[in-house]
Amino acid sequence: MITKTGNTQPKAKLSGRYLLLLVALSYALLYCYYPDKTLQALLKSLSTLLHLLPVFLAVIVLMGIFTALMNAKKVSKLLGKQSGLRGWLIALIGGILSHGSSYIWYQMLVDLRKQKVSDGLIVTFLYTRAIKLPWLPLMVSYFGYAFTVILMFYIIIGALAQGLIVEKLSSQN
Amino acid sequence: MQLSTFILAFYKSVKGFALNLPMLTGIILLTGLFEVFITPEMLSSLFSGRPFYDTLIGTISGGISVGQPFVSYLIGGELLDNDMSYYAVTAFILSWVTLGIVQLPYEYSLFGGRFTLIRNLLAFIFVLLISFATVQTLQLQA
Repeated sequence: MITKTGNTQPKAKLSGRYLLLLVALSYALLYCYYPDKTLQALLKSLSTLLHLLPVFLAVIVLMGIFTALMNAKKVSKLLGKQSGLRGWLIALIGGILSHGSSYIWYQMLVDLRKQKVSDGLIVTFLYTRAIKLPWLPLMVSYFGYAFTVILMFYIIIGALAQGLIVEKLSSQN
Repeated sequence: MQLSTFILAFYKSVKGFALNLPMLTGIILLTGLFEVFITPEMLSSLFSGRPFYDTLIGTISGGISVGQPFVSYLIGGELLDNDMSYYAVTAFILSWVTLGIVQLPYEYSLFGGRFTLIRNLLAFIFVLLISFATVQTLQLQA
C-alpha cells in the first residue's frame, strides 16, 4: 500500500495465530491430565477478559479520538523528540493514570510510535504503570506509608532514568 | 472536524485491535494457566532466607507471575511474616507489575526484538536497583 507521502506500508495481518494455537494445544493437553484445574484456568481467563472489556473499549475510544484529532505533526510536537519536559510529564502522568494490564495499551503505544513518539517516552509510560493507584491503600496496609511513598518515588525516578537511557541508545543508533 | 473523519478513525482503531485479537486471546488464556498452575505456595517455597539470592528469586518469580497486584502484596506480606528480607519482597512486588514474561511474545510482535530486549533488560536491572534503594532509604528513615 502506498501512502500519500509515498511510504510503502506493509499489509496489516493477524498477529498471534501461532501463539493462540499453541496455547489451545496446551489447554487440550493439560485437560487430559488435570481437567479440573484446566477448566478453572479457562474460567479465570474468561473472568480476566470480562474484567478487561471496559478497558479495551476505553482504549479503542481513546485511540479513535487520538487518531481523529491528532496528526503526526501535532503528536510529534507533544510527544516527539523535541517535546521536552512536557513530553516526559505526559508519559509519567499517563502511565500512572492508565488502568488495566500493560498489553492492552501496546497497540495504542505502537500507533503513537509510528507518529514519531520517542521510545524513551514509551518506556517511561510503561514503567510508571507500576504505580497502581487503586491498590495503594492496600499496599499501605501491608507495608506501611513510608515503604509505599519511598517505593513510588523510586519508581518515578527509575521510569525517567530508563526513558533517558533508551533515548540515549536510540540517538546513538 | 467532520463526522467521517471520526468514523474513519474509530474504524482504524477497531481494526487495529481486531488484528491483534488472536495474540490478546492467547495471552489472556496463558495468564489463566499461570494463575492456576503457579500457586502462591509454590512461589513462597522458592525463597531461602539468603538476601541476595532471594532478591534475584523475587525478581524472577514476580516476572513470571500473573494476576492482580494485590496477590503480590498478599504473598509479599506472608514472606515478610516468615522473616524474608525486604529486598526480596520489594523485588517480588515490583517485578510482578513491571516484568511480564507471559506478554513477551505480544510485545515482541508489536515493538520488535530490540525494543523488547532493551526495555525488559532495563526493567530487570531497575527492579534490583529500586529494591536496594527503597530498603536502604527505609533503613535510613528508621
